[in-house]
This record gives sequence, C-alpha cells and structure tokens, in this order.
Amino acid sequence: MIRSQANRLLTPEFPKGRFMTPDLQRAPRIAITATFLGLLGTGVALAHGADGGVAVAVEGAPSWSLSPVYHILMAHFPVGLWVTAYLFILIRCFSDAEFAVRLQRAIWPVAALGTLAGFVTYGLGLTIYPWSAITESPLGRNHIMLATWTLSYWTVMTVLGYRFRRHLFEGAQRWITLVLATIGAAVITITGTLGGSLGGTPSLVTKSLSWIGWNVYETFYLPTWMLVVFGLGALVLVALGVMGRRKRA
Amino acid sequence: MRRTTYLAASAAIFTGLLVAAWVTHGTGIVKDDPERNIVIPDELTSELQVKVAYDGEDIWFRYRWPVERPAIFNDVLVYNDGKWEKRGGEALGPNPDFLTEDRVAMMIDDGSVPLFSRYGGYITIGEGLTTFTGVPETDEERTKYLPSSRTDPNDFDAVKPQSDLEKLRAAGQFIDLWQWRSSRSNPIGLGDDGFVAEAREGDEGTGPYTTNFDKEAGQPKYMFNPEVAGYRALKIDEVVSGKVGFNDTYYLSAETAVPFDPGYAWKNGDTIPRRFLRPEAGSRGDVVQPAAARWRNGFWDVTLQRKMDTGNPLDDKIFRDGGSYDVAFAVFRNASTMRWHYISLPASLGLGEPAQINAKFSEPGKPDWTGPWTEVEIYYPGQITWGQLTDARVHPGADRIAQRVPVAARHTEEQLALYGVQMEFADEIKRQWIWTLIASLGLIVALGISVNLLMRRKEEESR
Repeated sequence: MIRSQANRLLTPEFPKGRFMTPDLQRAPRIAITATFLGLLGTGVALAHGADGGVAVAVEGAPSWSLSPVYHILMAHFPVGLWVTAYLFILIRCFSDAEFAVRLQRAIWPVAALGTLAGFVTYGLGLTIYPWSAITESPLGRNHIMLATWTLSYWTVMTVLGYRFRRHLFEGAQRWITLVLATIGAAVITITGTLGGSLGGTPSLVTKSLSWIGWNVYETFYLPTWMLVVFGLGALVLVALGVMGRRKRA
Repeated sequence: MRRTTYLAASAAIFTGLLVAAWVTHGTGIVKDDPERNIVIPDELTSELQVKVAYDGEDIWFRYRWPVERPAIFNDVLVYNDGKWEKRGGEALGPNPDFLTEDRVAMMIDDGSVPLFSRYGGYITIGEGLTTFTGVPETDEERTKYLPSSRTDPNDFDAVKPQSDLEKLRAAGQFIDLWQWRSSRSNPIGLGDDGFVAEAREGDEGTGPYTTNFDKEAGQPKYMFNPEVAGYRALKIDEVVSGKVGFNDTYYLSAETAVPFDPGYAWKNGDTIPRRFLRPEAGSRGDVVQPAAARWRNGFWDVTLQRKMDTGNPLDDKIFRDGGSYDVAFAVFRNASTMRWHYISLPASLGLGEPAQINAKFSEPGKPDWTGPWTEVEIYYPGQITWGQLTDARVHPGADRIAQRVPVAARHTEEQLALYGVQMEFADEIKRQWIWTLIASLGLIVALGISVNLLMRRKEEESR
C-alpha cells in the first residue's frame, strides 16, 4: 500500500520539454521571501545591537563595519534550513513511506533557501572585522575556512537536489546521498561551533573536535604535499565523472 | 564498471581525502627556527600553586611548581687551555647544559595601573624587545615597559621626558616586580625587588649578585674556599650532568669564597660560578626568603617575604589589611630564560577581601599555610606585543580591549599559548591556509562536477 502511494507520487509532475519547471517558476517568489526575511533579521539586529558605554577610538579600526550581531542572527537561517534538509534526506534514505516522500519534495527548496541565506550570512560575516585582522586569528581563519566549505558544499548539494530530486534516493544512490549529506551536516556543525567560539561561547563540540585531533585554536592548514594530493584528487574526481558518464547505469 | 560504482568511488575518494586532511593538517610549518630566535617549548602550559599569608607587618608568598630537573647554576666560567670561558646564562629556549637558572617572578599592582588587572603582563610587552624575531641584538637589553612611559607606546625609544616619568611614578604608574632566582639569589636566602615602569629595573640599592670576572685579567675574581668546599673549582662535566647538588658547595659568597689564585695549577674543565652572591642593600633588598628554598620530589617550593609597608612607595606597592591587589606570575623552568617563560593571566589578591587568591591572616611572624593552594594555570606566551593587541588591523579583539573587556573573559590560557605559537609563524601559516582554502574549494567543485555527471535518473536506465 505504502509502496503504491509512493510510486504515484514519484510520477513526473510536469510535461517534458517545458522551458521552466514549476519549481523554477517559483524561484523569484522564494528569492523575494528570503530577502525579506534577511532584511527583517537585519532590522531586528539593528534594533537590538546598539553598543552601550563610552565609545573609544581604536588604532586601525575600519572606517565602517557591521556589528557581529547581524551575522550571528542571520546565521541561524542557513543552519536551520540546511539541517532541516539533512533531516529530510535522512528520513527519505531510510523510508519509502508517503510521509518521507512528501518530505523529499521539500529537500531542494529548503536547501536552496539555506544556500541563499548562507551567501547573505557569509557576506555579513566578512563585514565584521578587517580582512587583515580576522585572517590573523587562527579561530577566525578556521571559521572562514569551514564557512567556505559549508557554503560551497551546500551549493553543490542544492544543485544536486534540484537536478536529481527523487532520483537521489533510487537504489544504491540513496546511500551515496546519505554519505554526502552527512558530510554536509558535519561541516555545518563545525562552522557553527567555530562561530560560537569566535563569539566567546565555545561549546562541547569545540572540545570534542580537540579530542579527535583538531584543536580549533590552531589554524587548519594542509602541508604542501597534501595540497598536491588534493589537486590530484580533484582531477581524478572529474575524470571519474567523465569516464563513468559513458557507462550504463 | 557500472556508473554507480564510479559514483561510489567518487564519494569514497572525496571522503578519504577529507580524512587524510584531518590527519595531516597543521604539520610542516611550526618547528624550531633558531635563525629567527624561535624555539617552541615541548609543553605549552603548566601549573603554579600559590598561597599568601600576612600578619599586618609582613606578607609571605609561597609558590610551588613542577620541575623535572632543577637548574641551580646560571652562567659559569670554565677553564680551557689557559683561558676562562663563559658558559651558560642566556640561551635561546632551554639550555641543554642546564646552565640557566630556574626562576619565579611576580608582578603586583594596587589598581594604579588599571590595564594591568585586565591584561596582566601583556601591557608591558612593547615592540622590538630583545630576543623577538627580527630584532637586532643590542648591547643593552630592551626589556618590558609600561605604555604610559612612551610618547608612542609602540616605539621603545620614544621615552617620555624625565619630569613626566617622575610624575607617573608618583601617581603609582609602575608595577612592582619580585623575583626569585635559583642560582643568583636563592643560595643565600634572598629574592630580588624590582619594578616595571619606563623599563624593567631593580629598586634603589644593590642586588643579590655581582659578576665574578675580572675583565682586565681575564680570570675570575673569586674561587671556592678549599677549606669550606674541599675544592677550588667544580668540574664542568659534573655541573652539566647534575651531579653537583644542594649538599655540595655550589655557589660563591662571603662564606664560601676566597680571592682567586691565578698561580694554582688549573686544569681544563675547572668550573667557577660567574656570579658572586652578596647581601642586598636599599629598597632592592626588601624581598627576602625565610630560608633558602630546596627542590624536592619534582617541585620547587619557594617562599618570598616582604614588609607590607616597605617605606618605599615609589619602588614598591604597599600592602594594607583589607586591600585588593592584582598579581601576575612568570615561571622559568627547564633551564630557560628571557621570553621562554610561562606566564599567568592577572589574578586578584585579597587581604581580607574576597578575591581569586585570598591571603590568610596569620599570627605575628608565623605564616599560616593551612589553607588550600590556589592553582594558577601558566602558559608560553610567544611574542605577542601590546601594539598588536590594540591594533584593529591585526587583532579582531582590539575593540574589546578598547572597551576594557578583560582578557580572561575572551581567552583561555591554552588558547593564548596556541595563539602565541601561531603568531610566531603568522606569515607562513596564513599563506598555507589560503592555499588550503583554494585547494579544498577546488575539491568540492570537482566533487560537484563528478557527482552531477554520475548520478543517474530512472528514465536513463529505461532508454
């Protein structure tokens, strides 16, 4: 029974050959909504972010910068949305129930909204400190590194989600989807905890990372030989994609 | 192979590279570089235990810290083929011969230097101090100073006019500095009383040691008294190996030394301390020990004593019952000196007032040590300067300092130790980090391309 309902839901939703999918047609509305939410968040932050006390001139202070509160406030949106997308992926990977299939249909829009909010959050983050200062701090460097990974990774996940949708969960592909999404969830968690540590509120996650080999107060960088391995790995990944594309499914 | 296999291989390669990155990260840059005066201690943090007692007349500070092997010698003179050569003393990092003494130092303020209570010794670290990377060697040691003593706090040479310095001193703008040295003060039961203002200096008077070397004659001024010590000199091998200990006569003082005898048949390896210990005089002699300290069971246990009111308010911070003070500590261990020390963040000290360190009121002349130790975490500070910390171009927390947010509210000791090391390699690490950022971004993009090419749709199968 459950299987048959699922199959009904998995049938194509729009005629082939149309220029835009219904989802894509909704994109402007989604973008406007996301922008509105972002502006709303910024307004709330402005209302609550005023500094108290006596203003003091600081040597080398930038001519303008935004208080961290905007970035912190905005960061909750991509984190919440991406984690929600991950939760839906998790459920769909382990269930073909109608509920799971319905959730699956929301995965890419939720991930896309998260990515959109992620770009805004990333931009706001870069306005807090001068680049020279934040890249002098090991914790700052790590936060930028992980934020870049998270944003780029979930951009990739969003594209995948949009292009392949239900096919992500067909056969063995669902387990690959699960692995990729779990990596995505891990980088979100680490980025968030680094942000918390940078704001002066380190969590147990920060300490846990230390227990498994990375003290976040030391810059995450790779030795030169490992950078070369990364470069070769990237080439191999693309080559595998091109070669495998010619094979039958 | 099926396309799904390629897809699985792509995911596996990506995951494997992430794991490899996790395992290998942070390697290849941080290592000793003596050319740049960089030597990283094996341990970045340690512990110091502190107790304080007072009786209304005197105040006692008791310090206890772990030391695997005590260094009871500082610089020595070694006879070699007709010449007396200096060995030991200053060294980059730990002295392998253990010819650099152990030390404990304490800065004290009574609130006259408000930044001290929040940032401790960091405020005394200006630009271009001796042993910092890139600072040329100078005849005179360029030491700690207070920012208020300079017209430009970041310029060591921009010292304010003497009249201004006197005004600052009278207003209490100095930090009291007590020191205990295992070789140059401990054997005769003394400490050393100094201060940090326009420079780090000793108080008025004479210190506990002088140089035991006659430059013109090229020989020591004193040697061991053979009637007291049983020898005129020690053997360098026995000094370096640690065979000479507390039960031997290992220091020169009025009780253990006689004038040097150049006519004696000196042999290669004969060793005489390069310092002669003597009683202190003046304000510099205010800090003493009830008895010479001894290293026992892996710990130094040192007590320093001073009059609460020395009568020298321009040199010393005066302690009063009911008063609150700020203190910060430095420990020199593993035969290290200069900036290779472990420091603490500032801590509050209360004499009858609640504080992080609570001094215990005692019977006259009998310090009460019955209470628990206060554990103070100490750490290697690296080469962080006050100029860097207060410059928003290089320190994201510069605005917090401007708002007078205490360092302890934002950073732990371990964090500061790691930052201190990272800052010593700032340029190299930053460069490698940027390359890592680019390479990892490339890898994620490659993964995206690969997976997009390899994911299949059901319709494709049916075709």
